[in-house]
Amino acid sequence: MTADGEPILRVESLAKRFGGLQALGGVDLAVARGEFRAIIGPNGAGKSTFFNTMTGLLRPDSGRVIFEGREVTGEPPHVLARMGVGRTFQITSVFHDLSALENVQVSLLAHARRAWSVWPQASTLYAERAQELLALVGLAGSGGRLAGALAHGDQKRLELAIALAGRPRLLLLDEPTAGMAAHERIESITLVHRVARELELSCVFTEHDMAVVFAVATRITVMHQGRVLAEGTPAEVRARPEVQQVYLGESVTPQGGCA
Amino acid sequence: MSPSALLPLCAGIGVLALPFALSDFWIFIAIEVLAFSLYAVSFNVLLGYGGMLSFGHAAFFGVGGYAAALLVKKTGLSAGLAFALLPIVAMGISAVVAAIVGFFSVRRSGIYFAMLTFAFQMLLYTVALKATGLTGGDDGMTGLKPPGALAQPLVYYYFALAVVVPALYVLFRLVSSPFGYTLRALRSNARRVQYVGVDVRAHQLATFVITGAFAGLAGAVFALSSGNVFPGWLNWTASATPIVMAVLGGVHTFLGPALGAAVYVVLEVLISGRTEYWPLAMGVIILALVLLMPAGLTGLVRARRSA
Repeated sequence: MTADGEPILRVESLAKRFGGLQALGGVDLAVARGEFRAIIGPNGAGKSTFFNTMTGLLRPDSGRVIFEGREVTGEPPHVLARMGVGRTFQITSVFHDLSALENVQVSLLAHARRAWSVWPQASTLYAERAQELLALVGLAGSGGRLAGALAHGDQKRLELAIALAGRPRLLLLDEPTAGMAAHERIESITLVHRVARELELSCVFTEHDMAVVFAVATRITVMHQGRVLAEGTPAEVRARPEVQQVYLGESVTPQGGCA
Repeated sequence: MSPSALLPLCAGIGVLALPFALSDFWIFIAIEVLAFSLYAVSFNVLLGYGGMLSFGHAAFFGVGGYAAALLVKKTGLSAGLAFALLPIVAMGISAVVAAIVGFFSVRRSGIYFAMLTFAFQMLLYTVALKATGLTGGDDGMTGLKPPGALAQPLVYYYFALAVVVPALYVLFRLVSSPFGYTLRALRSNARRVQYVGVDVRAHQLATFVITGAFAGLAGAVFALSSGNVFPGWLNWTASATPIVMAVLGGVHTFLGPALGAAVYVVLEVLISGRTEYWPLAMGVIILALVLLMPAGLTGLVRARRSA
């Protein structure tokens, strides 16, 4: 296990190049247990590439990813998931032609290592636990509906329930409020924040909306052109002139919002 | 008794009593329907549940057929023993071949997966065609006969039923098990399912092997009924058959492809007896059915129920 003070996630000079484009130019990151870390940066800063490289979807050219003291660089997603890393996607990713309840059941079955069990009937397995998770994210009444028929915001909630079903200790959320109306965003990130507190999860999320970021983040990492430009508490980051520079003319304040 | 319980009961009695109402020729057709039902359903577990469109499923049906033929004709085992081993051997060999084909094919998805399965099928077709010493080459293997009383169509019908019905039940359990749920999730969103901790390639490979084994079993049942196997069973055109059956019957219900198989086989018999242009007539009829019922025959029933 990890020593006290060992960050739950440590990334060391992670680099990724796509042809001539250096998408990640050596990114360092350390996330302590219980943190609610925001990664911000203008479009093209490398946030999504960083997420995908950390979680095994892309293979890094160099650098290391260490989760709970174990090196997991380049491990495929299913291995990371089994170790306790959950994630959600920028473009909502649920099982469209399964019911909301089945969506969560699939995740619970995988977490219980029962995805290979071929004889028991799955329809009732973990149905209660799945229902609890749906209730936790505010979808108590929607279990029987097809995931694809849910409203966008509800699909985001469902994806959160799917991720939570795997009992992650680290949850990575790629733009959890993407595509939502302004008033839904704060509500949505507050939900994630509350659930993360309850389940004692550490979270890393990318976000465009500064109001959302300053509402919940305990620390903020600012990325720019594939590198870390600044890191610190919300107050520290806001005060850094180079951050202001990157967001050129957009005020980095809780009130302002930068959509 | 509720109507929903009455239907399977009537179907069961019908299937058991059926051969007594049929001539030997039509019993032979009924056996073909049974074999192709299993073949089409096994294919649809791949396509309808797993989202994997294989252009090479006939390879496993053919391998099962050849395995049966070789077992009966070349191993020198007594007829009874050879026959008793038939289901295990046909499934085993098909599973091994499917494991090899699948190992390479599931690394790709969509059309690339389809092309890989297609390529392996052509390879196996060529083997069946050229390994004359073993397979009889272009002439195939003929004169296959089940032992004793099983050579009578009526008795063989019940044998086929005793193989196909449990096999279908096993596949049904499979698709409604956690494995099957995971498979449906994988079809729906392969990336998401990785991130809940599922090894997508391994899951796809297992599905490929299982469905290949059941296709092989179907091929073996059919080979001993028809009395011969030909390389054409493994030709790429043969892989269209389960696709058409599945789509015709409906890929969204478990037994839809079995219904599609029944309709396909009976139509083929009726039409080919009347005109040498029967593929043309079949094509037109299937085109019309698919255009009029995009969800297949079972889709039509479901639509009427919910209306």
